[in-house]
Amino acid sequence: MHGLYNFVSGPMVWIAFILFIGGCLYRLVSLASLAKEKDTAVYAYMDFYYALRSIFHWIIPFGSENMRRQPLMTLFTFAFHICLICVPLFLFAHVVLWKESWNISWGFLSDSTADVMTLIVIASCIFFLVRRLTRPEVKFLTNRSDFIILAIVAAPFITGFWAYHQWAGYRMMLILHILSGEIMLIAIPFSRLSHAIFFPLTRGYMGSEFGAVKNAKDW
Amino acid sequence: MGEPAVKIEESKVVADEGLNRGMERLTPEKIEKVIQSVLKSETGSRLKVYVDTCVHCGLCSEACHFYLSNEKNPSFSPAGKVKQTLWEMLKQKGKVSPEFIRRASEIASTECNLCRRCSMYCPFGIDIAYLMLVVRRICHKLGVTPQYIQSTAHSHSATMNQMWVKEDEWIDSLMWQEEEAREEFPNLRIPLDKEGADIFYSVIAPEPKFRAQLIYQAAAIMHKAGLDWTMPSTPGWDNSDMCMYTGDNEVMGRLKKAHFESAMKLRVKRIVMGECGHAFRSVYDMGNRWLTWRMPPVPVTHAIEFYAELFKAGKIKLAKKYEQPVTLHDPCNIVRGRGLHEMARYVVNETCEKFIEMEPNREHNFCCSAGGGVINCGPPFRNKRVEGNKVKAEQLFVAKSKGAKTVIAPCHNCHGGLEDIIHHYGLGMELKFLGDIIYECMEK
Amino acid sequence: MKKNRLALYIAIAVFVSVCGGIAFSQEDIRTVADSAFDVRQIMRPPVRFLHDGHNEKAQIGDCNVCHHAYDEKGQKTDDSSEGTECSECHKPETPENTLALTRAYHLQCKGCHAERKAGPVMCGECHVK
Repeated sequence: MHGLYNFVSGPMVWIAFILFIGGCLYRLVSLASLAKEKDTAVYAYMDFYYALRSIFHWIIPFGSENMRRQPLMTLFTFAFHICLICVPLFLFAHVVLWKESWNISWGFLSDSTADVMTLIVIASCIFFLVRRLTRPEVKFLTNRSDFIILAIVAAPFITGFWAYHQWAGYRMMLILHILSGEIMLIAIPFSRLSHAIFFPLTRGYMGSEFGAVKNAKDW
Repeated sequence: MGEPAVKIEESKVVADEGLNRGMERLTPEKIEKVIQSVLKSETGSRLKVYVDTCVHCGLCSEACHFYLSNEKNPSFSPAGKVKQTLWEMLKQKGKVSPEFIRRASEIASTECNLCRRCSMYCPFGIDIAYLMLVVRRICHKLGVTPQYIQSTAHSHSATMNQMWVKEDEWIDSLMWQEEEAREEFPNLRIPLDKEGADIFYSVIAPEPKFRAQLIYQAAAIMHKAGLDWTMPSTPGWDNSDMCMYTGDNEVMGRLKKAHFESAMKLRVKRIVMGECGHAFRSVYDMGNRWLTWRMPPVPVTHAIEFYAELFKAGKIKLAKKYEQPVTLHDPCNIVRGRGLHEMARYVVNETCEKFIEMEPNREHNFCCSAGGGVINCGPPFRNKRVEGNKVKAEQLFVAKSKGAKTVIAPCHNCHGGLEDIIHHYGLGMELKFLGDIIYECMEK
Repeated sequence: MKKNRLALYIAIAVFVSVCGGIAFSQEDIRTVADSAFDVRQIMRPPVRFLHDGHNEKAQIGDCNVCHHAYDEKGQKTDDSSEGTECSECHKPETPENTLALTRAYHLQCKGCHAERKAGPVMCGECHVK
């Protein structure tokens, strides 16, 4: 168990972060150069003000018409994404690990808050899964990769929740938790989870086209 | 090999010569080669990021009138259409069957109006209309395009106008309208090729062909407003562009070049165009880009903006206001494409006694289902188009129940589409252009 | 049958708790404690730590293996620092350097365990709920 733990909490963390950060940079740089070669229009029409205007409307809950039309989905989407980002960054146990390794630290959530937020992430994943299985328009678009991606996202939270409560198989679960977190980090640049890094670009571009060229709203 | 995701019952396959014959000529090798070449050499970051970013959430569905009107059948949802076309082409690396291409062409050309409403419903702002245009481009290069719209594309290519109007017929039509109008306005002129004029007025070819009274009305408005205007006598007068919709970008480029050049040759200050949506998209958005102009090389003013200007400057005096209660249809290409909805409302309120809003409206308005070249695909697809826009009929019906008797649609394609919808669903509403209303109410 | 089994369970339970009691009572230090840790603020349960048992198992003879000491220049000396509370040097929560004491403990315990591949290294192995 020591060898495994030392690996997933040592070299594997490096591998995960290098692939995550390097992968994101690679995706962004290769996209930018591809755009320069094939879609120069993107540069010609990108407009900072209108890009931000559009992004702003799409990152505040119920800021767009479609969000108001789908209140349940909006609620879950926002709760999910906020918790998904905040829990790993501000979990006490994680902050302590950063402190240990790099002697840096920042504010953290109380354990009970983090616990609830983790449950929100898990509940949202279940909601997304049920939605995917039951709504015909979503089901039609679904393939195996959608379930894999959902599993990749849910796994660190389920295992983390389990490990925090020190239920049966604590040691194995913690190792799985670390490993699944690393898998998720690596998957971000190389799967459709890349929407995390591409959102500002696609939204910003559509916002620029609508705002600066077409003089219209896009929310 | 990729096969169509949703098999269509034999009886429901639309008989279209363009699609059927085009399909028969295909070979797997040709399909693969063309798909690969379009994907490799004509698309880039946008296609890639749009495909990689879509999380298959289905939130775009509610935006589409085809989806809403077809009992929420998921194969009509915007992303559903991408799944049945581009995703599969990418997944199979171009190895798809001729039947697949036929179906893809039908989906992209007749089940999507490129209205861009879904871009406003997709959280990522994925430009699904662009993706459908890529599919049309592939089908164009494979020679599988619905017959009727391909015929207009041929006309564009051969005559530089959409309706096989010959040069002398064009001049004739203008002279005929001038002659008619002079009975009402003795000094009226339709000045041809006047160098240095303020305004270069361009129309779409169906105007001289079927709706010559629109040229009459435009001339009357120009005349009464005392404007310095002209129309060209040579090819380039037609601002319409079905090649933009068939994926024939090369001819689209030729058309727009001819249009801009005829305006530049006359050294006019700007182009004012009639009440047409797709032509505006071609001149203001797509054609200029193909020719690598970031913005049109000659300033372009759409009729709505032009009318609003005239009313603001007090250049048109009204004898009366239009009495019947009206409602306004917001055409995609000049609302989501140019944000002219408030100006349209200003003109409507200036000219009409009572204005009743349709819901939803402005940027969120539903397409007429004729746009994007769909109506130009002709009779074979008429039923699908009209039945595929029940939501528009419902929208119109609500406006009617609030008292609206006239629908104003400042776009030719919208006129065609709404005419069919009003007739098919027995709505009994009258359809007008803004120009019709202005002409009817102005001091003569 | 059932009665017999119940009796057996009770016997085992009594045996275990008595033995446990004896074992505990032999040790003076049972948890990692430092007066700097405020019981009302700690985020995790205190760590159970049997001082003598640990050292026996880990074969640690010298006190300064854990109770290290440094001179003014920051060099490690052979002196040992038992009897001095950790928090006297490893200043706990200051705004500039939060979690300093926690960090010191973790590096001290976990670091050694990880290196020797022996002893607990995961959060819940020490901070047992």
